Amino acid sequence: MKKFFSVLLASALAVGMLSGCGGEKKDAAKSDVIKVGVFLPLTGDNAAGGELELRGIKLANKMHPEVLGKKVELVVADNKSDKAEAASVAARLIEKDKVKVIIGTYGSSLAMAAGNIVKENKVPAIGTSCTNPQVTANNDYYFRACFIDPFQGTVMANYAFKNGAKKVAIIQEVSNDYAVGLAKFFKEAFVKLTGSPDSIIEVANYQTGDKDFSAILTNIKAKNPDVIFAPGNFTESALLIKQARQLGLTVPFLGGDTWETQEFIDVGGKDVEGASLSTAFDREKASTAEAKKFLDAYVKEYKGEPSALTALAYDAYLIAIDGIKRAGTATDSVKIRDAIAQTKDLEAVTGKTTLDKNGDAIKAAVIKTVKDGKFKYTDFVDVK
Amino acid sequence: MAKKRNLILTVILLAGLFGLAWYINFETDSYLRRIVNLCMVYAIIGLSMNLTNGFTGQFSLGQAGFMAIGAYAVGIFTVPVSLRPSVFYAAPMHPAIADIHMPLWLALIVGGLCAALVAFLIGAPVLRLRGDYLAVATLGFSEIIRIVITNAQTITNGALGIKDIPPLNDVRYIFAFTAAVFIFITALINTSYGRAFKAIREDEIAAEAMGIDLFKHKSLAFMLSAFFAGIGGGLYAALLGTVDPKNFLFTLTYNFLLIIVLGGMGSITGSMIGSILVTAGLEFLRIFDEPLELFGVAIPLFRPGFRMVIFSVLLMALVLFWRRGIMGTREFTWDKTIAFCKNPFGIFGRKGVDKA
Repeated sequence: MKKFFSVLLASALAVGMLSGCGGEKKDAAKSDVIKVGVFLPLTGDNAAGGELELRGIKLANKMHPEVLGKKVELVVADNKSDKAEAASVAARLIEKDKVKVIIGTYGSSLAMAAGNIVKENKVPAIGTSCTNPQVTANNDYYFRACFIDPFQGTVMANYAFKNGAKKVAIIQEVSNDYAVGLAKFFKEAFVKLTGSPDSIIEVANYQTGDKDFSAILTNIKAKNPDVIFAPGNFTESALLIKQARQLGLTVPFLGGDTWETQEFIDVGGKDVEGASLSTAFDREKASTAEAKKFLDAYVKEYKGEPSALTALAYDAYLIAIDGIKRAGTATDSVKIRDAIAQTKDLEAVTGKTTLDKNGDAIKAAVIKTVKDGKFKYTDFVDVK
Repeated sequence: MAKKRNLILTVILLAGLFGLAWYINFETDSYLRRIVNLCMVYAIIGLSMNLTNGFTGQFSLGQAGFMAIGAYAVGIFTVPVSLRPSVFYAAPMHPAIADIHMPLWLALIVGGLCAALVAFLIGAPVLRLRGDYLAVATLGFSEIIRIVITNAQTITNGALGIKDIPPLNDVRYIFAFTAAVFIFITALINTSYGRAFKAIREDEIAAEAMGIDLFKHKSLAFMLSAFFAGIGGGLYAALLGTVDPKNFLFTLTYNFLLIIVLGGMGSITGSMIGSILVTAGLEFLRIFDEPLELFGVAIPLFRPGFRMVIFSVLLMALVLFWRRGIMGTREFTWDKTIAFCKNPFGIFGRKGVDKA
């Protein structure tokens, strides 16, 4: 039995190897394609986000299939939501598939793990939704299509101040880099706006996966804030808001773009009505021609509303293609990097995109509020 | 005579492997280098876990926590001081450690020692437990370590993680550490301590009756295991160039549990084989993630993520047919290898005898 099984295993491997060889031969035959590497978490914890972004990139590839007169071929690789895999797969795309530009990824820690690889090999990478400032800091080869945590935190602070909030309580998901970043810059901006450090009356922490927030909420209720800023994962946040309402806490909640999922509304039900969040994209504010094309194509391809993640991934592809076009070469990755670094007023889905000297996209934010079980556009914050 | 021959062969093998490491370091691409490095780092951590779980028979699931300590020692002390403000952008680093900079090897050892110290403190209450209870308690402690790291913002940068650890992608460096750990543990297993560990694994009561101090030996194994896990974690951090607490969720421990169960609980060579199979095997299976066209028809199954399905099926099959892992508790020895070379078909004959 054991021997039979060994034979089976060996033949499975042999078949695998053959199919691998077959693929390579075909690739050699069509050298007139430009390969663009894509690495995303398609399995593991972040698979949902990775899948949404893959849709955006595939859609963009469909709409803009050619650059410099050559066909663009996507080489999609899975990073398993694992940092070590993210680094290996970035190396694989560069060494084995010989891509000269990489798109990805969802999740800042995954992007940071790949950061050293792209820097060493001098191949530019464009992040889709990795919002941690560290991703592009000290790394000339990492860019991103999304705005960063500090910007989002500042936007929400301005929004809260504009709507008359004087005292704010912050409840952050302390084990989430994204939430901690947002909370920190919200706090700084809000203190600056009000001119008093007492305007933040409480900063409370919870862990990913927590279910009971009554202790935090009771404490905050006693301090009577005007508004609560609670950046974090959508499930925990929805539960948090639900429990706040049960405790009779009626003040509005503000959050970040992670809330923008159907699950947030499903879990929170009517309790999350009135919760506001900042995000990168809304169809009502979709001003560019590219956005209209994107919306039409998305509805045709996948039905339903595209999420901001899909739009950002679409934009990352546009930035890559635009870089290759302006560099005038698809083989010199350093030239492509220089071209991407100079991206200016690129017509993208989430508005005209310009990259700053860190490689971060400077773009406006949209504020949405939950109304009648839907995310409704409420405000638009432009960059100053 | 045979002993001397074996020693010479081992030295030749080590030199050969080091030569191979040298070759890989300079002559191959960064993808292969990365996979080889990852195999070796995982082998160190797998071996460290094998020391408690395989050799001493204590089912501990705390490896992720000890790795985290080692990784953070490297993260905190090796990031160049000039880059620290950009890493600790949310809250500045605690002034007591803000200016301490160490070379990598020192940070690795500091990380290992810290992990061993924590293991000593945890071990005192926890090692009195047995079986499942010990597993649950160590799992809990590894989560505690992670949560402490998440909340120590000024030391570890909390959830934001640390970036800009000077990248280490030198195969020789990691090979030297791996070889040292393997030699040390092989030597340890063949001392009276090693035999005591195995005695505890086989039967605790009998071992105690033979005069083995159970607690002393268990905590020794536990501390050594934590020390090497700390070194492995540090190398892991240096290899990736970044650490964050989410890396060290308890699910990470299962990676290494998989490696040692696959390779064989209580086998040093097994840990190496398991680590290569899991790391390089998963990379090899990426061919199933690439789209495949047969006779002009794209087969829909071949899409990103498919390799994980294949991997799971292969794992199930392996565990079904090799219940005790690939090596069991056996080891690679020169005697057996030479016997095999002299009579390659003898192995089938012997098996027949075993069955009868």
